[in-house]
Parts: sequence; structure tokens; C-alpha cells
Amino acid sequence: MEEYHSGDEVAFNPDEASNAVKECIEGVIGGVDYNQNKVNQWTASIVEHSLTQLVKQGKPFKYIVNCAVMQKSGAGLHTANSCYWDTTTDGSCTVRWENRTMYCVVSVFAVAVAL
Amino acid sequence: QLLVTADEIHIGASLKGNSTKFTIGGNAYQHSRVNQWTNNVVEQCLSQLSKLGKPFKYIVTCIIMQKNGAGLQTACSCFWDNTTDGSCTVRWENKSMYCIVSVFGLAI
Repeated sequence: MEEYHSGDEVAFNPDEASNAVKECIEGVIGGVDYNQNKVNQWTASIVEHSLTQLVKQGKPFKYIVNCAVMQKSGAGLHTANSCYWDTTTDGSCTVRWENRTMYCVVSVFAVAVAL
Repeated sequence: QLLVTADEIHIGASLKGNSTKFTIGGNAYQHSRVNQWTNNVVEQCLSQLSKLGKPFKYIVTCIIMQKNGAGLQTACSCFWDNTTDGSCTVRWENKSMYCIVSVFGLAI
């Protein structure tokens, strides 16, 4: 049993989540060029794998994983997030990744579950 | 409970639709202002949603993309309680840009 029963909730660890997500992105689109026919599959794989890895960490959180893949063509892209939650326990992290032909932005939001 | 959630989110969506139009409706894409726009959109949506006074935590995301022929694909996966939590996405565009706003509501 744990010596530390600190009694307070586990806070979200963005670094761990970020690493898990980076591996998932590399695994799915690591060496490939933007392909319109496949991008649908890629985004779905990235969010599913990321979510699975996060859930495996076994922490008491609900998760939302959001992924955007954009072809590099000089267009401007801007994203923003705003969250109404418990700042002591909930958190988010965003991973930005790119290769020669595309950008990938994945955001993870973790909301603590009241036990 | 699921119906109530869905209704709240859809009310949020129509409020969102209004706030999106209000903030950036008549403008052309401008790199120097897009930062402000995305921030305004998410803040306004969030304040409308929290005014609803429901026992939810909210996450609002907004993407604004310039129209120049590039492809954009987004996906989202959620691990939550299907009976009480929900989301909705609003897509909006004008001649020079696309705006996609997603709202996620998680029951407390």
C-alpha cells in the first residue's frame, strides 16, 4: 500500500501525455507525404492510438484528443482553445509536428473524474 | 440525461454560431488579426456556455484557416461517460477563410 495517502487528486501530467502523442504521430505519418486519400485514416488512427495510450496510463481522467492535419501550401492556420474546468486537476497539452509536406497539431484535454 | 446534454450543447452551438459571425463575419483573412479572432470566438462561446449554469466543464476549440486550396483534416476521439457527456462542431466560412469551432461538455 502507499505510504503517501496525500488525499489530493492526481494532477494531469502534460509531459507524459505529450510524449505518448508524439510517438503515435510518428508511428502513423512518420515518413509519408500528404495524401488526400489517406489523411482521413491518418487523423483517425492518430486520435485512436493516442487515446489508447493515455487510457493505459490508468489515471482517473476523461480525455478528449483532437488532431488536425494540414497540407503545407502557404495558407495560414490558427487554432485556439478555451476551457472551463477545475484548474487544480484538469489540464491540456498540445503537440505540433511537421514534415516536408504537412503539419499535424494534436491537442489532449484531460478532465478529472470525481471518484 | 443524454437529451438534456445534447440540448445544452446545441443551444451552445447556436450561440456559438452567432458569436462567430459577430466576431469575424465581415472580415477577410488577416494574419495579424487572426490571433485575436480565435481568442474572441473561444472566449465568447465559453462565457455563453457557462452562463447556462449547467453542471458541466467545457472545452471550446477554434480553428481558422485561410482559403488557398490546402487540404485540412481534423479528427477527435473522446474517452468519457457516453450517457452524460457530448460535443458538437460548427463549421463556418466566408470568401477568404474557414472557421471550425468544437464544443465539448463533460458532466461534473
